[in-house]
Amino acid sequence: MIEILLKFIEIIVFPGFIFIGLLSLFYEWIDRKFYAKLQNRVGPLYAGPHGILQPLADFIKLLSKEDIVPEAADKILFTMMPIIFFSLSLLITLNLPITSIHGIISFKGDLIFLVAMLTIISIVVYVSGEVSTSRFATIGAERAILQLLGYEIPFMLSLISIAISSNSITLSEIVLAQKNIWYIFTPNIIAFIIFLITGQAELERIPFDIPEAEQEIVAGWIVEYSGKKLALFRFGRDIETLFIAGLGATLFLGGPLGPVIPGLETLLYTIYFIIKSIFILLILTTIRAIFARLRIDQVLSISWKYFIPLSLIQLLIVRVIY
Amino acid sequence: MKKPGVMVGEVYRNLFRKRATILYPFKEKDKVHLPDGYRGRIEFYRDKCIGCQICSRVCPVKAINIIEDERGKRPVFMIYRCIYCEQCAESCPTKAIKLTKVFENIAFEKEKLFVR
Amino acid sequence: MGFIIPIGPQHPVHPEPLLMKFNVEGEKVVGVDINISYTHRGIEKAMEYRTYLQGIYLAERICGICNAAHTTCYCQNIEQLLGKEPPPRGNYLRLINEEMGRIHSHLLWLGLAAHQIGFDTFFMYVWRDREKVLDLIELMTGNRVITSYNTIGGVRRDITPTIIEKIRKNLDFLEKRTKYYKKLVNEEPTVLMRTQNVGILKPSEAVNLYAVGPVLRASGIKHDIRADDPYGVHDEVPFNVITYDTCDVYARILVRIDEVLESINMIRYCLDHLPSGSFKLRMPIIIRPPKGESISRVEAPRGELLHYVISDGGIKPYRYKVRTPTLANIPATAKMLTSRGDYEVYIADIPIIFGSIDPCICCTGRVLFIDIEKNRRWIWGYDELVRYSNKRFERHD
Repeated sequence: MIEILLKFIEIIVFPGFIFIGLLSLFYEWIDRKFYAKLQNRVGPLYAGPHGILQPLADFIKLLSKEDIVPEAADKILFTMMPIIFFSLSLLITLNLPITSIHGIISFKGDLIFLVAMLTIISIVVYVSGEVSTSRFATIGAERAILQLLGYEIPFMLSLISIAISSNSITLSEIVLAQKNIWYIFTPNIIAFIIFLITGQAELERIPFDIPEAEQEIVAGWIVEYSGKKLALFRFGRDIETLFIAGLGATLFLGGPLGPVIPGLETLLYTIYFIIKSIFILLILTTIRAIFARLRIDQVLSISWKYFIPLSLIQLLIVRVIY
Repeated sequence: MKKPGVMVGEVYRNLFRKRATILYPFKEKDKVHLPDGYRGRIEFYRDKCIGCQICSRVCPVKAINIIEDERGKRPVFMIYRCIYCEQCAESCPTKAIKLTKVFENIAFEKEKLFVR
Repeated sequence: MGFIIPIGPQHPVHPEPLLMKFNVEGEKVVGVDINISYTHRGIEKAMEYRTYLQGIYLAERICGICNAAHTTCYCQNIEQLLGKEPPPRGNYLRLINEEMGRIHSHLLWLGLAAHQIGFDTFFMYVWRDREKVLDLIELMTGNRVITSYNTIGGVRRDITPTIIEKIRKNLDFLEKRTKYYKKLVNEEPTVLMRTQNVGILKPSEAVNLYAVGPVLRASGIKHDIRADDPYGVHDEVPFNVITYDTCDVYARILVRIDEVLESINMIRYCLDHLPSGSFKLRMPIIIRPPKGESISRVEAPRGELLHYVISDGGIKPYRYKVRTPTLANIPATAKMLTSRGDYEVYIADIPIIFGSIDPCICCTGRVLFIDIEKNRRWIWGYDELVRYSNKRFERHD
């Protein structure tokens, strides 16, 4: 009985929903502040000390705005899409090994499960765009699926090269295989670069924020959502950012491993995980700052001409060495 | 194929530079410096005015009214209409009108927007 | 198929309202229809109710950013009617003001073009450096954007040696930063991918559709009012007319960046050779030009600007007409935005193509009525427009 209660607290409070929610808002603050400092300006400043409560203030403000549903849209699907998006993002983040080598949900083969869930999230994006029945949303949804054709294969190939190096497709075993040396210092470095770039495409940030291009199609597939639904979409996007940063830390930087004092393991593992995922997040923000936005046909041509051959070369290298 | 990411060096150097934003008006109100000759709010010297009414005729937006007081005719300026063009100061033959550096010209009472 | 997308009057990237309806197949644009009559302010009619001196301030506010060009054109027009010329020092100071306005306008446009291809960091850096130009303009004229520096017969203020010193120091800084931006545009692959071979306007089409300004010069045609029909002291101050011949958005960016460098050199030449003397003529308070008409042309930052005045001997003009450069570039834009033959336009290219002509829609709206049977042309002013709109939207209860 006590175990069920402890497991319940673990899922809801720490390191479950509330912890992940607050951590993802903190990561959005770091992203915005770092992006602003790279551009020689200030960023969020007035909500809380140094603007740290700004993402929470944005979320609460959106919850109180008016909720408008277009007349021609399918009401049931239109209301369900933000909820599905948000819950899928939370679901996949529960797999990350934050406080110990196992995540809260952990089973054999969960790397394949995570990749499948990411594809389903892209399909949810497509359905949300199509069900809005607005011209801009239709174009945004179609661009999201075209972009999925571009980045998904290099993404999976880079994950497969990590799986081959550690001889397993379970996250906890991949973390354990990095006990001696982290994968970023081995010949897996090409996989790291491809993971960063395709992760940026997964999260739809510049240079790949084509489905949501503000200048051309006025917010793309998200254009008809307002009020609570928009709040859930943005929050889900933040949690997905935490997921990609955490996945990068798990697969390439050794997850929560580091020098420990026995007894304080949970706390130290969490701190190491947070530091490593912030490092990946800062690299993602730098990529966001130094490039212009690409066109959709250019994304597909770059992806098939450069990324896929590079990841196949990486697979050959890893197969020969390990 | 050129090397991508040309801006990386510049962008990281900007991390350590001081910010380019002035935090006006909540924190750094005194860091705004205006040069001499800035065209702000009108200031009027009554003793130099001779009542020729040139300023009222030259103003492009009709922001100057002429009234009569104990020493003769004199203008009244409506700041809420003024476009800060300085034509009245330039055309005044006795230089009785001057433009100062005050640029915060909003008020809750209409009386503050007249220069008498 | 025929899916019509409106890039409508309210849009996050276009700061001024106009309506463009695009006929789209998938991601390719097949046809376009432009409607520019959303901002009509009745300035030409308002000019008829103001004296010539008051009209300077109205002409200045036709376009906030090209205001130096509009006042230069207006003052030249009235001086031609009166038959007078400003003194040499006045002419040199007018040129410095005009070229500073050109630097300001081109830097502002460069930031906006970077924003339209999604490169926000570049946008922020260019606008941070533009603050230096605005500080210089404020030092010289008293205000940042609407300068009110020209008057009929010369300029209104003189320039002191401290100001000249500050201008020289800041011009060196601006030259260094502009050269860095030119290197960035030439070397960053994502910028090159978005701007090369996009928005092509062949030289024959540019001449047939009467394009003006940097749009014309980026198609290889050497035409600049400052060189072909010099006004003021442009025949004494040496400069190069910049042309590139790749005819796309990339060429237009490079033309404008090079024009900034040319303007910096022109200002330096003027400061070195500034003549002494008075800076404006002595004019009466009420200006009453003789009967007649006059035309004056000026190279605004966006292209060729034309003002036309008819005077009937009174203190207010009888008729004043303005033709702004963006109006002349709109047919060329419609041509650039349609796919023809091998050349394809995607939806993603629309903002940068439209932004590359440097649109200033607030100057553009002129409603001109043409009655072909009776062979009459007339323009409506503010009162007539109000009456027409009230009558049209009256409820029939």
